[in-house]
Amino acid sequence: MMVRKSVFSVIALVFFMLGCSSDNNTNDEGANGGKDSFDRKALLTNIADNIAIPAYQKFSEDITALKASTSNFVTTANASNLVALRQSWITAYTSWQSVGMFQIGKAEELSLRNFMNVYPVTVSDIESNVTSGSYDLTSVTKQDEQGFGALDYLLNGLSDTDAGIVEFYTTNPNASGYKKYISDLVNRMDDLTKQVLADWKNGYRDTFVNNNGSSATSSLDKIVNDFIFHYEKHFRAAKIGIPAGVFSGTPLDTKVEAFYKKDVSKALFNTSLTALQDFFNGKHFASTTTGESLKTYLDFLNTIKNGENLSLLINNQFEASKKKAASLDNDLSNQVRSNNTLMLETYEELQKNVVLLKVDMLQAISVSVDYVDADGD
Amino acid sequence: MKITSLLKIACISGVFAFISCSSDDDAAPADQIKEPTNYTFERDGKSSVSFGGQTTRIEMATILAGKLKDNTQTEAVLDAMFDHKKGANDFGDNADLNASTKSVRSKTAASKDYFSINVTDAADIKKDFDGWIKSQVDDVFPNWTKEASAGVAGFRQEAEGGSKRYITAKGLELNQVFAKSLIGGLMADQALNNYLGKAVLEEADNVKNNDNGTVVEGKSYTTMEHKWDEAYGYLFGAAPDKANPLANIGTGSNQKGDDSFLSKYLDRVNDDTDFTGIASDIFNAFKLGRAAIVAKKYDVRDAQAAIIREKVSQVIAVRAVYYLQQGKKALEAPVVDHAAAFHDLSEGYGFIYSLQFTRKPDSKTPYLTRSEVQGLINQLMSGTNGLWDVTPKTLQTISEAIAKKFSFTVAQAGS
Repeated sequence: MMVRKSVFSVIALVFFMLGCSSDNNTNDEGANGGKDSFDRKALLTNIADNIAIPAYQKFSEDITALKASTSNFVTTANASNLVALRQSWITAYTSWQSVGMFQIGKAEELSLRNFMNVYPVTVSDIESNVTSGSYDLTSVTKQDEQGFGALDYLLNGLSDTDAGIVEFYTTNPNASGYKKYISDLVNRMDDLTKQVLADWKNGYRDTFVNNNGSSATSSLDKIVNDFIFHYEKHFRAAKIGIPAGVFSGTPLDTKVEAFYKKDVSKALFNTSLTALQDFFNGKHFASTTTGESLKTYLDFLNTIKNGENLSLLINNQFEASKKKAASLDNDLSNQVRSNNTLMLETYEELQKNVVLLKVDMLQAISVSVDYVDADGD
Repeated sequence: MKITSLLKIACISGVFAFISCSSDDDAAPADQIKEPTNYTFERDGKSSVSFGGQTTRIEMATILAGKLKDNTQTEAVLDAMFDHKKGANDFGDNADLNASTKSVRSKTAASKDYFSINVTDAADIKKDFDGWIKSQVDDVFPNWTKEASAGVAGFRQEAEGGSKRYITAKGLELNQVFAKSLIGGLMADQALNNYLGKAVLEEADNVKNNDNGTVVEGKSYTTMEHKWDEAYGYLFGAAPDKANPLANIGTGSNQKGDDSFLSKYLDRVNDDTDFTGIASDIFNAFKLGRAAIVAKKYDVRDAQAAIIREKVSQVIAVRAVYYLQQGKKALEAPVVDHAAAFHDLSEGYGFIYSLQFTRKPDSKTPYLTRSEVQGLINQLMSGTNGLWDVTPKTLQTISEAIAKKFSFTVAQAGS
């Protein structure tokens, strides 16, 4: 497992010293602690106003719709309301892919991602919660019993047929327990999301934009680390690497996202991939307009690797990943079982961008990595 | 200051060794220190390196540490595994271990330098280990399926649906406490305070026999050579290639060492850029010291022993501070992951405990005495509910108390 931690490593120190002593850089003496004169504030403004806040806004609306669908289903548990609720769940789950990387500010404080999207979930614990009716969803020990993954089980995994699933909410002896649990899960998701969006809108946006320095705690250093951490752990590893058995040596087909729904795991992966690339390019949420970004930062610094613009290499690698992933089955779990080689090859394409982003890009923009691999024991 | 002078001696010795090696026209072969690339030493075409007993004990300790997490085990079975007797079927279908005359407990707190006279502490330390086994069976196993909370033993799950940690009412994960304390109590104590000590290396006729090349009957090594190898075995006895044990001890996260004891944590400390090189420093000192025994250069041998003592002690101290800092960070997080924090602090507890077996290079004493170690552990566990009550401030205080006895900072060890 990988954990985020603050480190001021020797490497960072070395880079810092290099930065101070190298006077052949024409972009020296800028606003960023003497590192370069790129306008970090413009980049942060674009991230906040045109990417993060609109993405959270959309996500919040979709969670509100999910809440309404849940309420309808709990009031009238039938197959058509189940189908509608499931669709709301997919819509919100898709929107989640665009905010997952923004674990900063209130989201970081609340540990939003870990309460929203841990998978696989632990079915026995979910069932025992439903049975007992007593559980504290705010406890970190319950993160694998709530969020999108738990809803996946409750909406798709209880039975093979919709009629069979509806029975859990109608004729099952503990139908009221299932109804209460699914309502509690959605209410918590709604509550957490509203807190995060409200915080961005009521002050955090300015805090984020104005913290435009270049220390380890500056907004850019933090958000770039969040971006790469998300890419490595919650995208590359969680969605592809772990199910493909990259870390275990054995393929684990039950560890895919939305395991019980089966046919949306690839779509969620693709949405996430696009969101990550759009973030890199500063593309406004749900728009074709672009603004200041990591790409424009690299271009400003004229960062070249092997004779090519680094930003181009990174975008090319995003495209290569998309191309490889295009052949994947809509159900990644099925892909693992039928032809895991394609999963492994997709992982390899994704891994190539880890090097470009985490090593080359961070070196160019003078940001040091603030997380390390954990013990694993 | 004394450390520096010892290092100087080591350096000067190294220079002499280098000179003598390069001028082989005039020096007699017996005066040379021939240092091989790997830990490979031979006599009459046969390997003279032997430390099977250490490999065996590392295996036994590994199995025991694993069984401490199996709630179907009884205290009697675990005790027998700890204090193995030849022929007892303590290790399942592992016939070699069952037939072995070796045991972990008999060599715990059993070094000549520290415990041959101080049998009171030796007995108390063994009691500590026995007590952890007993408490695991009596207090934790019966609560295996209950969720732990302050003052209540049971399991506690880490964030993100992570590992379940099984803890006492005070938050201690005893299997971690036991395993990490063994790093000091067995491995470091035996290596640093027994086999690398003059009392063992030069016991009885060891010097005379080594000078004359008199081997142990039926073996291809002298006793002194063998004793040195046994120290080496407590660090590298689990390596697949025992002559080249650094293959799995690197500078990145790809390598993990070869056991869950000194090898693993030597790797971990070597991964920290503040301490990179410590693994090869230790390996090279073992190699040169062994070559010095072959060359009968006992001053060079002792200088290498001093290096090993200093650096192995440092590995233990760095990990103690590292886990305290990890635990502190976890407790300071806005959403506290108690299972992860207590897991780190339980490992930290074991490494703190192990500090009493460290060895200053220039004296017969540890960097922290047993009573100092007990003082730190009392601070850690002082709250009514132990780790549930410990504050980040206390963890910082303990970290600093340890670091100031060594030549590193809390920040260096904590990353």
